[in-house]
Amino acid sequence: MATSTTTWEKLGFRKAFRVGEAGWGHTLWVALVSFIYFLPVLIIVITSFKVQNEALSVPAKFFPTSFFGLIPEQYVFTPTLENFTSVFSRAFTTGGAVESTGFDRYFFNSMFIAGSSVLLALVIGTLAAFGFSRYPLKGNDTYLFIILTTRMLPAIVVIIPIILMFRIVGLSGSYPGIIFLYTAFNLPFTIWMMKSFFDELSLDVEDAARIDGSSELRVFFKVCLPQVVAGLAATFVFGLILTWNEFLFALLLTGADTRTVPVAMNQAVAGGGIGVLWGLLAAIETLFLIPVFLVTFFLQNHLLRGVTFGTVKR
Amino acid sequence: MTKQNNLALSIAGVSKTYGRVRALDNLSFDVAAGRFFVLFGPSAVGKTTTLRMIAGLVKPDSGRIEIAGRDFTHEPILGRGVSMVFQSFALYPHLTVFENLAYPLREEKLSAGEISIRVQETAAMLKLSHRLERKPNTLSGGEQQRVALGRSLIRHPKILLLDEPLTNLDAKLRHDMRAELKRLHRQFGMTIVYATPDELEALSMGEEIAVMRDGAVVQRGTPDELYGQPMNTYVAGKIGSPHMNMVQAVVTPDTKSFDTSLGKISPKAKRKTAVAGEAAIIGIRPNDIRLAAKGEKSISSKVHLLEPLGDITIVSVAAGKEILRMVLPESKATHIKVGDPAAIVINPDDIHTFRAASGQAMA
Repeated sequence: MATSTTTWEKLGFRKAFRVGEAGWGHTLWVALVSFIYFLPVLIIVITSFKVQNEALSVPAKFFPTSFFGLIPEQYVFTPTLENFTSVFSRAFTTGGAVESTGFDRYFFNSMFIAGSSVLLALVIGTLAAFGFSRYPLKGNDTYLFIILTTRMLPAIVVIIPIILMFRIVGLSGSYPGIIFLYTAFNLPFTIWMMKSFFDELSLDVEDAARIDGSSELRVFFKVCLPQVVAGLAATFVFGLILTWNEFLFALLLTGADTRTVPVAMNQAVAGGGIGVLWGLLAAIETLFLIPVFLVTFFLQNHLLRGVTFGTVKR
Repeated sequence: MTKQNNLALSIAGVSKTYGRVRALDNLSFDVAAGRFFVLFGPSAVGKTTTLRMIAGLVKPDSGRIEIAGRDFTHEPILGRGVSMVFQSFALYPHLTVFENLAYPLREEKLSAGEISIRVQETAAMLKLSHRLERKPNTLSGGEQQRVALGRSLIRHPKILLLDEPLTNLDAKLRHDMRAELKRLHRQFGMTIVYATPDELEALSMGEEIAVMRDGAVVQRGTPDELYGQPMNTYVAGKIGSPHMNMVQAVVTPDTKSFDTSLGKISPKAKRKTAVAGEAAIIGIRPNDIRLAAKGEKSISSKVHLLEPLGDITIVSVAAGKEILRMVLPESKATHIKVGDPAAIVINPDDIHTFRAASGQAMA
């Protein structure tokens, strides 16, 4: 039978029953959809390089250069780094003195608080998950369920008792306070996620290590943990993104010294009577995006590849 | 091969229950040092639990486990000098072949030089030298098996436990590995306890076989003993391929013969304990049935099924109410077609007799 090539196939759309690499058509289609999803981020990044009136102009100016006159002038803006410098220091009144905005501190706070609470949750949660997986309690599933119920309510519902508890023990506005809170906030997810990774491991492999002379501690560190590196990376990234972007707890439970970027961002651009400073807001957001972006980028190999895939016959 | 009289392993009255399931029921056996000992029985009969208990991974509820004369019942795993190959191979998936082999030595805190030498040695012996830098999941099943074996042998164990090690390999590889395991046993002379549900593996490798049922040993002996004098219908049915023919029978009034739907069958040796009128089961090996010569007194039957296996053919014939399997050389079976009449003769020398009620052999 002669193979006929349809116009559809010439465009790069292969027949669906063929297994293999996608054709150009599918790839372009996916690229288009991805672009639409990515558009909000792109607009923010572009806006961060615009001055206020260009940021507000209609039609939107999308291009930083005219590409040698290819792009009509009304769509081209003049890129500036002014927004980025004003994130950290600017004059608060017209003609006033340039002052520090404190954002260097807020960025440090965000990194320190999110980083340490996610790591802490990862350490505690991984150990707990191993316990739940290997040494089940009587009523193990009930405990796991209860752990998850703490995440079933929206934050706004539990915030009042938490504020009261923090007042009583004097944790409000302190680093340990918000770090402990975020750790608790990340634990259910960490435990459930890591438990499912530990459940997947072959128990024979651990027994083999015991026979080979490993203590229980070494079985955990030398045999179990290396097999769930992908899980640790994934849990870390998801926890980090959640914590990094968290707004409500941070708004109500951090003080002037422990304020995180999402809270500070809100206070920096809202109010002041001159409307929203879109360029400045976009610059803060762009800077805010970078750390999580980098962490995810460097861990993506671990996220995509399960190290234990296909090694154990069941 | 050195055969000493001292025991490498002794298990006495060991029981183990998991919840309501009784895995081991008063299990007892011992293994002489240097012996290739096979635990044979279908799955879920307690073989794996037995091995795990010898290794120290499972503590028995009651009973006693001695290794080389020392009581290890409640001792930890370390110091037993026991290593184990798992059915799943249980390689460390995150480590290279080199590190998999080196793992037990690293846990013994040997020097890097010593480890490297021992790993190279073991790898060479198992033809794995070119695979040392690979991860287990990139190896073939046979290679993974050899790594698992190497990891167990590298410690020079006194007792090597093998839990259905060949189950996950294809047929050809299984054959090669059987020979390989026998060679390794000869070379190192360690005690091997080998669990398998495969009678071919049991008979071809075991110097001694313990047939297990419901968490206990039913009969133990050399392959010849188990084949020649099965103690009950369970062992008789498990050992020997194709399986023994079991024929319903009743002891005749003179207690010398057995009435069956095939007619009267008289074993050569009289069964002294037979009681007239007692229900019995006659066991006849397929090898002990042949086609009758012309004019010979025979049992008439009809060919029911033909299973050609190359050089031999298994012929099932219907006689009386029974279906009997017999083994014919291929040359004699070529003309036979299903539905043909066949005159058969049963060799009276090797007839097995069992009590129908208990399944025990009739003396």
